[in-house]
Amino acid sequence: MSKHESHSGGEGLEEMPYLQRIPRSTPWPLVTAFGVTFIFAGIVTNPAVSAVGAIAGLVGLVGWFREVFPEEVTEAIPLEKAAEPLPAPELGPPPEKPLRRVVPEEIHPYRSGLFGGLAGGVAMAVVAVGWGLTTGQGFWLPINLLAGILVPSVGDADAAALGAFHASWFIAAICLHIALSVLVGTIFVVALPMMPRRPLLAGGIIAPIIWTGVAWASLRVVDPTLEQYISWPWFLGSQLAFGLVCAAVISRFNLVRLQVGRSLEDRLELEQGPGGKS
Amino acid sequence: MTTVPSHPPALAGRRDGAGFWERVMAWTCSVDHKKLGLMYIGCGLVFFLVGGLEASVMRLQLARANSDLISPETYNQLFTMHGTTMVFLVGMPVLLGFGNYLVPLMIGARDMAFPRLNAFGFWLFIFGGLLLYFSYLGADGLYGAGVAPDVGWFAYAPLTSRTFSRGNPTDYWILGIMVSGFGSMTTAINFMATIICMRCPGMKLMRMPLLVWMMLVVAFLVLVAIPILTAAQAMLLFDRQLGAHFFNPEVMGSALLWQHLFWFFGHPEVYILILPAFGFVSEIMPVFSRKVIFGYPLMIAATVGIGIISLGVWAHHMFAVGLGPVLDSFFTASTFLISVPTGIKIFNWLGTMWGGKLEFTTPMLFVTGFVAMFLIGGLTGIMLATVPFDWQLSDSYFVVGHFHYVLFGGTIFGIFGAIFYWFPKATGRMLSDRMGKITFWLMFIGFTLTFMPMHISGVLGMPRRIYTYELDRGLEIWNFISSIGVPVQAAGILLLIWNIFRSLRKGRIAGPDPWNAWTLEWATSSPPPEWNFDRIPTVTSARPLWDAKNPENPDAHYV
Amino acid sequence: MAMLIFMETLFFSGFIVTYLYYIGKSPFGPQPMDVLELGPVIVNSVCLISSSFTVIFAVRALRRGSVGAFRVWLLVTILLGIEFIVGTALEWRGLIYEDGLTIRTNIFGTNFYSLVGFHAFHVCVGLIILIGIFILSLFGHIKPARDHGRVDVATWYWHFVDVVWIFVFTLVYIIGRVPQEAVS
Repeated sequence: MSKHESHSGGEGLEEMPYLQRIPRSTPWPLVTAFGVTFIFAGIVTNPAVSAVGAIAGLVGLVGWFREVFPEEVTEAIPLEKAAEPLPAPELGPPPEKPLRRVVPEEIHPYRSGLFGGLAGGVAMAVVAVGWGLTTGQGFWLPINLLAGILVPSVGDADAAALGAFHASWFIAAICLHIALSVLVGTIFVVALPMMPRRPLLAGGIIAPIIWTGVAWASLRVVDPTLEQYISWPWFLGSQLAFGLVCAAVISRFNLVRLQVGRSLEDRLELEQGPGGKS
Repeated sequence: MTTVPSHPPALAGRRDGAGFWERVMAWTCSVDHKKLGLMYIGCGLVFFLVGGLEASVMRLQLARANSDLISPETYNQLFTMHGTTMVFLVGMPVLLGFGNYLVPLMIGARDMAFPRLNAFGFWLFIFGGLLLYFSYLGADGLYGAGVAPDVGWFAYAPLTSRTFSRGNPTDYWILGIMVSGFGSMTTAINFMATIICMRCPGMKLMRMPLLVWMMLVVAFLVLVAIPILTAAQAMLLFDRQLGAHFFNPEVMGSALLWQHLFWFFGHPEVYILILPAFGFVSEIMPVFSRKVIFGYPLMIAATVGIGIISLGVWAHHMFAVGLGPVLDSFFTASTFLISVPTGIKIFNWLGTMWGGKLEFTTPMLFVTGFVAMFLIGGLTGIMLATVPFDWQLSDSYFVVGHFHYVLFGGTIFGIFGAIFYWFPKATGRMLSDRMGKITFWLMFIGFTLTFMPMHISGVLGMPRRIYTYELDRGLEIWNFISSIGVPVQAAGILLLIWNIFRSLRKGRIAGPDPWNAWTLEWATSSPPPEWNFDRIPTVTSARPLWDAKNPENPDAHYV
Repeated sequence: MAMLIFMETLFFSGFIVTYLYYIGKSPFGPQPMDVLELGPVIVNSVCLISSSFTVIFAVRALRRGSVGAFRVWLLVTILLGIEFIVGTALEWRGLIYEDGLTIRTNIFGTNFYSLVGFHAFHVCVGLIILIGIFILSLFGHIKPARDHGRVDVATWYWHFVDVVWIFVFTLVYIIGRVPQEAVS
């Protein structure tokens, strides 16, 4: 490919090329393109065509090169102040209360999602293990069933094995549980301000019910073992426990004003300090 | 905003073009991004008419069963040329042309970073296209002279080998596309350099209009995808001209390799064709909803996400080859994944319209139609990404319906909306809105008539690329409806052409900012002077003209 | 700035073309590799890679303002590049006339000639650019203060060609050979 495109802006210009002058019209790119095409066309027609193309291409390249070397050929813009950028429009001062409605105005700090998720995860685990104990299926059953999402071999185990302790399954279940809890907690903290009135209702009850519905529809694919053993009322109960605790924890955090009109750097600095400073 | 003072006679004279010859020279020798952009769009539209004519002949042939209007050989050439033309000589140049025209204006630059390279790219595209069409006159095929390529637009090996494709039409296909591909690559380089280095003061990346962002991603995709196609074509050329064995299975070459290479180009190409249309929608929709675009940063994230994921979905075109369950599921998953950012965009557009003060001018009609039609195309795309479904319907008319919904209902509707929206900027005169609305409804109805039944005929078992079909298979009625739609669309397109020619002379004078819009291209006169802006503007937010018009309540306070 | 980015992007695109060749070719190059001799190729490679350094010296000389040293180093670079082309040509002659390997012989021939050939073509382009700069400097058209940036960018192309060769060399002459010997 040609390299002559590498004309520089020249030293006379500041940061931006073509501030004062614009490039002059030139036929050479056309001639070069014509030559290149004919070089290729010669492959299917006649070598002579390629030869013509090569000559045209060469002439075009030389002409092009002379256009940009030693100095780019340009013509001046016939205006006096062309090189001076127009100043930015003068903006009014930022009003005390924004003229536009910002939705949501205040949000919970993101770290509240972390704590909420963890707390909810504990609550959920208590309910789930409670289910295992009260129905007499054993302390480890819910944990092993959860591990089934990650570990395929759970699917082959029988009821006795599912009630027993397995170190690797336990670790898998714990990791998955923590990861999911934190993830859901973070989603909560982002989503809750969109339903600002009753966080406990939205986050604590409606979301778990929806989620249980989704799980009911998809569990067959995600974790068939769990589906065999699951008790849906208890499942819903554990989800509700998570939702209520998580939403409660999050809503206990002080609201932070959404930082509108500040640069990212500003905002990052603010979030270092104690939340709630506006 | 600003009016251009009287130009010195020399410049003014050349711009207006005293004699015919001088005017020709002023256009052919121009390195001005606006002239080149208009030439891109103009030539692309001419090729659009040619490609549309080819499609019309095909639909005429398919209007009834057992038709012998044209021969199977002619039919093969027609669909090959139709596909190739629409993708390489219509979609790419028109979109690159709009990018060429608008990107420097939108970022407040005087020209592209490499104006001469820009002209070079344009002329390569034109000559490449002409070389391809020269095959109708010059190529020497199995059935004598004057034979166009007939191997389909994706030119699968080994159909393209010397054994099965005699003579040189296929070589014309390779060379024509290769040459115009060089043009696209240089243009893409130019876009990148321009967008990164030529922004006016204050134009941060997160203040650029979305169209500019889309063009940046498109340029990236062009740079990744087109070289792959060029390389594959070079291999094919070696096979055909020098007797190499890249795609020759007899000596351990691989016909499958061509499919991989081609679709590694081919799928990003689809996004090259649709992303600028997304950009048009994202520019036009807020203006006619009188609202700022919903979720600006998310739109950018989605665009970049599409750009990256689109490099990893190519084999969903190849499920029928039998890639094995692992690859099949990988590409199904990645294809589902790419529908997520696309869905985000759809919701953002709806969010933009939601609660807005909607004005259904012609551009707005087209982009609204775009969202609806593209949604249908996207949903059938998700259906096709499911392997069992694809096995059943691959290479049927269902697929034809699907990608026409994406590329016609999507890209072409977007382009038409863009034509109506930016025509006043480029010419200084408005297109007739009344005729525009008629055009839209003709196009919309004709489009639905033509392509909706294709889904049904595909499900009924009609394969694509057959020149006729038998009676009593239940296909007649659907094909007939498809063919009926063609004259309706043709009427719409002819009306648009008439509209353009009439408005060029008699259209209402537009003024610099007829739509009361917010991006920088409306800050200069219509048409803009050769240097775009008398003084380079300084930008305070993503809607610089809003800030200038409403200094008491500017966007700058709400970034 | 614009220029730099631009050239980089150009390389990038060129690089992808070449990269593609690896992907396209390596999976099925299982044909006799024992025709390739390492000896002369290593000499060629050393020449090409060292030429990358000499061209850096040339640019540095130009930046210092000494056009004389610039010319000398540039000339050395050009000669090294020519050596590479000639070496490749000789190698090909040997392959064609002694071993009977052409682009049509087998899939290995197809891959070998197109990959190495494309690279050689790029080397030629780079050489033409360098020779062009050399001639311009002979006639005194290269002004150190004004042009060292441009010349620097032009030499990037040369570095790029070099880097590509490192990949090609590794692929064709090292990775390509080893399994063959292991099999036979």
